[in-house]
Amino acid sequence: MTLHGSRYRPGPLVWLGNIAATCLVLFFFQKILWLVVPFVLALIIHYLLAPLKLRLVLRGVSHDAAATWVSGLAFAAFALLATFGFPRLLGDLVNLHGTALRYVGGGLRLLADALSDLEGRFTFLADGSARQMLEVQLGSFFEHFAANYLPGIALGVAAWSPTLLLAPFLAFFMLRDGWRFRRLLLRAVPNAYFERSLYVLDAVDRTARQYFVGLLQLTVLDTLCLAVGLWIIGIDGALLLGLLAAVLAWVPFVGSVLGCVLVVLVAATDFPGQPGVAYAAIGLFVAVRLLDDFVFMPLTVGKSLNMHPLLTVLMIFVGGAVAGVPGLMLVLPVLGVIMVIGETAGLLLTDPRLRARHAHARALEQRRVWRDLTLD
Amino acid sequence: MRLRLREEKHRRDGQRLAGSELFGGLGERELRVVEAFAHERRFLAGEVVFDAGEEGQALYVIVAGRVAVHADSQATALAELGPGAFFGEMGLLDDVPRSAQVRAVEPSTLVVLPRTDFERLMASHARIASSISLQLARHLGRRLRAMLGDSA
Repeated sequence: MTLHGSRYRPGPLVWLGNIAATCLVLFFFQKILWLVVPFVLALIIHYLLAPLKLRLVLRGVSHDAAATWVSGLAFAAFALLATFGFPRLLGDLVNLHGTALRYVGGGLRLLADALSDLEGRFTFLADGSARQMLEVQLGSFFEHFAANYLPGIALGVAAWSPTLLLAPFLAFFMLRDGWRFRRLLLRAVPNAYFERSLYVLDAVDRTARQYFVGLLQLTVLDTLCLAVGLWIIGIDGALLLGLLAAVLAWVPFVGSVLGCVLVVLVAATDFPGQPGVAYAAIGLFVAVRLLDDFVFMPLTVGKSLNMHPLLTVLMIFVGGAVAGVPGLMLVLPVLGVIMVIGETAGLLLTDPRLRARHAHARALEQRRVWRDLTLD
Repeated sequence: MRLRLREEKHRRDGQRLAGSELFGGLGERELRVVEAFAHERRFLAGEVVFDAGEEGQALYVIVAGRVAVHADSQATALAELGPGAFFGEMGLLDDVPRSAQVRAVEPSTLVVLPRTDFERLMASHARIASSISLQLARHLGRRLRAMLGDSA
């Protein structure tokens, strides 16, 4: 953005303000943790459907009618999918307890086998009876796991999952009333700052759209790569596993590890006594992670956030420290949006000409309202 | 009742652009499309709409009132524009800073079309794009003839 021909560069104060504002926003999100996932999903749905709505508006359909049509069609498509997929999903959920324990058992067997193998190679491990210790400790943990932890986890998931229903609801209103909100905001802006505000709103919208659409593209690419790799290795349900791991990767660091653990558990359980399959799955995960970080990410999500890699990594840690897992998920898009707002606010506040124009307009307004008022 | 009121508002909104030089060639349906992206701003007499040297983010159509175009801080106006006229288009077409200051001469109502929406309309609506391009070409032709006439 230029100001009277010269390019504006934010100073250290603006940068500090951006980082502080990001931490505050994350702190606020921490308090409404349950809203984060439906809100992120709603934003993704909104940015996916917005081009369709725009097409209808460009054909002369009103904003409201276009939003209703597009949301209706999307809901119908989802309902169709749910009708066919729900019975199977319900069946899987009923067996969740048994399935979870089976896969955890498979993972433990793999770990025990790996330790046995290591004990055979390194005598100090055999002397310390590492495998025996692990079996005792994990055995006692999982003996009480089903009774102590599983009901709590299941209850938590059951209580939290209805909030996902908020996602389509939020997405519909974002689609229907987003333009009204934009107009409302712009109407409140004084004339002197109007054009700059247009720029900010466009930039914020562009940053958020690129981020969330990029996230979706990244998920699709990750899913495809993982699914193809797992299918080649010979693991069943490769597409579903790939999708789950790709969605888990939305949470930086932690999500990727969880995804990897999930795939390794499945590989170890479905192929008992063949640790090579599990190791191949780990290798595949590392390869996809590298592809993700160095090829896919810069092509998709990275394009939206024009920031230094060091700052990106530091902010992920800060986000995690301030707001836990939601902080990890949200820190980058929040920082991206706040950077645009902060830089423009810096530009507006440090532009004496815009301030003078605003003061001039206020003086004109003052004179207009006082014109026919005289004191006797 | 509410629907009828909204339709009436749409019709009125379309009419305010129908009388403009830039959108005069558009049909009712296309005008509705343009209106979906337009904003209305009111300026007091003497208020600056934009300054020379700023990056242009929008083009303006005068619905009511008059504005004057000033070369950078010159008291004498280069031109005065009235209802139906438009300005600020060069900043969007050339992607260069504003070449002049525009100031309201009397209380004015302007319809503003933001840059992104203008570019979107030009890129994705063939009829609107061709009509706007034609009007812009005519407008620039008239301006060129006037300049040549002045220099002669």
